[in-house]
Amino acid sequence: MNQSNVASESTRTRKRVVSKGRYKFPFALIPFFIFVTFFLAWPISTVVIESFKSNSNKWTLSNYGPLFHGIYLHAFETSIRIGLITALFGVIIGGLFAFVIESYAGPRLTSILDSVAAVFANSGGVPLAFTFLASFGANAGLIKLLKSWGWDLYGSGFSIFSFTGICLVYIFFQAPLMVLIFKPALKGLRKEWKEASTSLGGSSWTYLRRIALPILFPSFVGSFLLLFAGGFSAYATARALTVGNIPLIPLIIGNLVDGNVIADKTHLGASLAIGAILIALIAMTGYIWAQRKSTQWRR
Amino acid sequence: MKRSYTKFLTITVAISLSLLIFIVPYAASIEYSLRGNFGKGHDLTNYLWIFRQDGFLSHLTLSLELGLFAGLLNLLIMVPTTTFLHLSLQRYKPIVDFICILPLMIPVVSLAVGAEYAMPQAIQNSQSELIFFYVILALPFTFRVLDSSLSSIPLKTLVEASRSLGASWFATILRVIVPAAKGGISSAFFLSFALAIGEFTITSLLHWDTFTTWTVDISQQNVLGSIALSTFTFIFAVVLLVSIALFASRRKNKFQQIEETT
Repeated sequence: MNQSNVASESTRTRKRVVSKGRYKFPFALIPFFIFVTFFLAWPISTVVIESFKSNSNKWTLSNYGPLFHGIYLHAFETSIRIGLITALFGVIIGGLFAFVIESYAGPRLTSILDSVAAVFANSGGVPLAFTFLASFGANAGLIKLLKSWGWDLYGSGFSIFSFTGICLVYIFFQAPLMVLIFKPALKGLRKEWKEASTSLGGSSWTYLRRIALPILFPSFVGSFLLLFAGGFSAYATARALTVGNIPLIPLIIGNLVDGNVIADKTHLGASLAIGAILIALIAMTGYIWAQRKSTQWRR
Repeated sequence: MKRSYTKFLTITVAISLSLLIFIVPYAASIEYSLRGNFGKGHDLTNYLWIFRQDGFLSHLTLSLELGLFAGLLNLLIMVPTTTFLHLSLQRYKPIVDFICILPLMIPVVSLAVGAEYAMPQAIQNSQSELIFFYVILALPFTFRVLDSSLSSIPLKTLVEASRSLGASWFATILRVIVPAAKGGISSAFFLSFALAIGEFTITSLLHWDTFTTWTVDISQQNVLGSIALSTFTFIFAVVLLVSIALFASRRKNKFQQIEETT
């Protein structure tokens, strides 16, 4: 108790000394900032500018009109829905996995499972799409096996190319991503809190409901928003799986700028891209708020 | 007694759940990829088919090359940046942290649209433009990994020792920090390498053809072959990353030992 007080006191004074130090220009960070400006900030700001220009290169708001009705509005709705649904399942399944790994696995198993999760989370692209074509397609062994047991998935309207099918595939990169981003939060739970709760007469359930869950809640929200952004904007998997039967915003933007359509719609592509960025930014603001809340206990 | 029972139950439930959710689809796809011609029997036909395709080797080499350069460029930028963020420039950490999470949030399609508008023709005409965007896309992962890896070593002491012995910053980073944080640096490299090899969105929207986009193209001729290819890629990635993880955890243990004895 005493010792930790002294320790925190000394770090606090050290921090003060550092922050009082004279201002130094961060020369060492120049390469990073130049790189990020050129390859991230510049492209994004160009999209912003282009989205406000007409084909005759004049300022206009007309590119934003189509976003609010018809197929584009419908596509935004579908993409948002897919983001929400897959993020919800991802958070629940991945959260459970993370909890089990964190509480029961040894260090070596943990690091193996971590890298497996990293592969799963990053394979959310073309390979994942083909894998699922193999395991849930109409001809797949699994589907045939279920059929022989009397559960005819395709007969009851399921298809890997449908909205449900896409959701199913997305969960397979959402849940592992959840494991990766949620584990640090679980690590932040201190053993002492559990012990304090038990010594005050609380049961495991009391600890979970009144200490662990409230502390983890911001992390849950943050992870959910991060997964939402990922599911909302996933392109590769959808591109490899669908044949244009499900309107998703990333696919539509891709088509518009790919040159498959008439040239005068490229500015529409820019405004759609901005729309997508705005939705992602809303999620991101929430994520940053949640991050700040969740680190509050770990200082 | 009751505790160990709950523990046993939790582990069993978790293992069967993960089996059901994760192993089954992948096992199914391995089975599918091994199917022989006309659905008869199981053999390696589909795997052999891949190697006989035109462009297999050239696309694979291109992807490996881009991945290699993306990984190296990433380290070149991020290792010094993260090092200084841990030393004297701590106050800039929130800004860099914020920037590094952006590529995860901004839809990649939007970035691709911007790249097509903004990049000068000279850059757009060269395949190396992909390397830069792969580095951007890998930032969220590599920064996290490097950040935690540098926190786990006595960085400040090492740098002070090296600098006071007269080493330049360049020598300090290359000969002290890099060997000390080997585990984190190698996993940062392989993360961006893997991302670069699997990247599809930017590559296809900027009209380049790498191994991944080529896979989609040939899938129109032979779905079984593409499934075999995807399965192969996946297994390869798992084996690679797991062996890196084992290597890295051994490194970490070594440093913890040093810290304990001092």
